[in-house]
Amino acid sequence: MLILAVMAAGVLIGYLWLPEKLKKANTWLQLGCTVALVFCMGVLLGRRENLWEELGQFGLWSLLLAVVPMGMSALLVWGMTGLAERRKRRKERK
Amino acid sequence: MAVLVIAALILGVFCGQTVLSETAADFIGANSDWVLGLLMFSVGISVGANRDLFRRLRKMDMRVWMVPVGVIAGSLAGGALCGLFLPLGLRESAGIGAGMGWYSLAGVMLTDFCGAEVGAIAFLSNLLRELISFLTIPLAVKYLNPYAAIALAGATSEDTTLPILMRHSSAEMVVYSVINGVLTSAAVPVLLRLLR
Repeated sequence: MLILAVMAAGVLIGYLWLPEKLKKANTWLQLGCTVALVFCMGVLLGRRENLWEELGQFGLWSLLLAVVPMGMSALLVWGMTGLAERRKRRKERK
Repeated sequence: MAVLVIAALILGVFCGQTVLSETAADFIGANSDWVLGLLMFSVGISVGANRDLFRRLRKMDMRVWMVPVGVIAGSLAGGALCGLFLPLGLRESAGIGAGMGWYSLAGVMLTDFCGAEVGAIAFLSNLLRELISFLTIPLAVKYLNPYAAIALAGATSEDTTLPILMRHSSAEMVVYSVINGVLTSAAVPVLLRLLR
């Protein structure tokens, strides 16, 4: 919830005050933070004592359990939103 | 962007294993929330600066609900499908899928419910979901649609993957991403408890 409050504060500042020249700097800040976060994630992963054993043992299962739910979520949402889009267009034509 | 992300991950794993002392690694792990907070603040600024977005918000349709429903159903079904082929059990596999990218919570809860092995797989699998999202979001936007890209990110669409979603789709998608992230994040602990 705190994260959402921080984001809401950002929305307010962006809405009320953001000079044009700071927009680009803000984009760079996002890129920097994203890379830093992934680095932190890597450190977290690297700290696991049995990382390579776990990867060897469960890596393929983990990959499968990541990719299949991702794929099914994406295909389901793609199908549902595509259908809604088509219905909307049909209604607009009528 | 993808190259940077992969490089950061490899560097992070390398540093975590070799260069960084335990204290330094603990410090990074404990303070990554500050980086996330700064990132969210910055994303908020981008959203707020886009005045057109607020006008469009009023015209939002059913798709705002379709995305989280599809993500939850697809993640559960995908996990269960894997359970048919892996020697883990249907419930355990569905539970791992139901983590929807929230690796810390899924890892801890499933360790409690199902033991260390399932917990470790849940952690790795959900971490991989987040990492693979970084790389596949641009492709999903290009070849499917932006809603499908949000679905790939699962519960992380409101935080870590949000800047990439915004970069490759439009500011309008931020609202869909945040709503999806909030609803799916709220669903993760509930689903894991139900599947116990």
